[in-house]
Amino acid sequence: MDTSALTHSNNTCRGSLACVGMGMTLGSHLTPLARSHIERADVVFAALSDGIVEKWLQRLHPDVRSLQPYYQEGKSRLKTYREWVALIMAEVRAGKRVCGVFYGHPGIFAWSPHKAIEMARAEGYEAHMEPGISAEDCLYADLGIDPGRFGCQHFEASQLLFYERRIDPAGYLVLWQVGLVGDWSLARFQTGPAYRQVLVDRLSQDYPLDHEVIVYRGATLPIEKPRVRRVALCDLPNIPLTVEETVVLPPAEPLRLNLAMRERLDALDALEKAGKEVQA
Amino acid sequence: MTDTIDLLEAIGQDASLRHASAEDLGKVLAQAQASEALTAAVASGDSTRLSAEFGLMQNKTPEGILSPAREDEPEEEDPLEAPVPDANPLPSQK
Ligand SMILES: C[S@@+](CC[C@H](N)C(=O)[O-])C[C@H]1O[C@@H](n2cnc3c(N)ncnc32)[C@H](O)[C@@H]1O
Repeated sequence: MDTSALTHSNNTCRGSLACVGMGMTLGSHLTPLARSHIERADVVFAALSDGIVEKWLQRLHPDVRSLQPYYQEGKSRLKTYREWVALIMAEVRAGKRVCGVFYGHPGIFAWSPHKAIEMARAEGYEAHMEPGISAEDCLYADLGIDPGRFGCQHFEASQLLFYERRIDPAGYLVLWQVGLVGDWSLARFQTGPAYRQVLVDRLSQDYPLDHEVIVYRGATLPIEKPRVRRVALCDLPNIPLTVEETVVLPPAEPLRLNLAMRERLDALDALEKAGKEVQA
Repeated sequence: MTDTIDLLEAIGQDASLRHASAEDLGKVLAQAQASEALTAAVASGDSTRLSAEFGLMQNKTPEGILSPAREDEPEEEDPLEAPVPDANPLPSQK
């Protein structure tokens, strides 16, 4: 098929924004659509967790600007993220076709892409997000977990400590950014065992201390294997743990029947059955 | 010698290579005249060996952190002007 007629040239100087995901593993996860957004952009901004993946991205576009230099230990990340949005928006407003490239999925545990898209749209620019394969997706595949089986909650680990949240130990619990748990300042890149102990204390309200937790790191390079470590909850503070790792708590309780709902459904079933008998 | 990034991309998108054993992959790399760093990384199963080729840049820790745990911090000023990067980025980066 000759598809050249489909690729119309968009020469308007109207700025636009696409936030796309690079996926997790170099070479394996970049969708054709995300690649196309990157290739046809005027400017590409990048927030990738692996330097070699960033090198790969640089092959796809001559003007890749790393967002990395805006991080600074001691400076609130929220400020950094706002700066990223400002950088992106400055180019959109200048009439550029801008592509923001984020590792994994650009909208999963990632503040700036959502914010930039919201802002661009509010100012009348075309903006959208293309999904990518996230750490979450890799985790389900590598650990053999189906989130639909018992249900699955996801939390930014610090949020469990900062706010009153309700955990359901009959389902899976996935904790992100455990490596910097408890950092109220948003200005640290890592916190230590004492902070993780607070997390364990919070979790021990819902789980036994010997409950097995899984510490997971998915492959970012295609020559890597996933790293899966299983430890008792009480040992979580004392193992080396990087910011790249995700912590999974499998269910600790069986599903319990909801008898009140069962009764209502049984009553409905009986009504339906009686109705059918009347009709027959 | 085949370029390392090209090789990684090729491995990443080939079903017969992506999950190949270190031994099988090693043979493919030898044939492709892969760099010493890549060969060593595959043989040892330790991708940090690639730093011999790319420098210490694999795990750019802070860049992996994209999510604030709270959003209740007051916005200081609207940085309408695009900011200038910190002149002194982290020592371990790039
Ligand atoms: C700010 S989130 C970004 C997630 C990313 N947008 C995605 O779609 O996967 C950072 C957290 O993602 C998880 N993460 C990042 N890289 C990972 C990897 N290689 N394996 C497992 N989890 C990872 C960790 O929980 C880390 O603290």
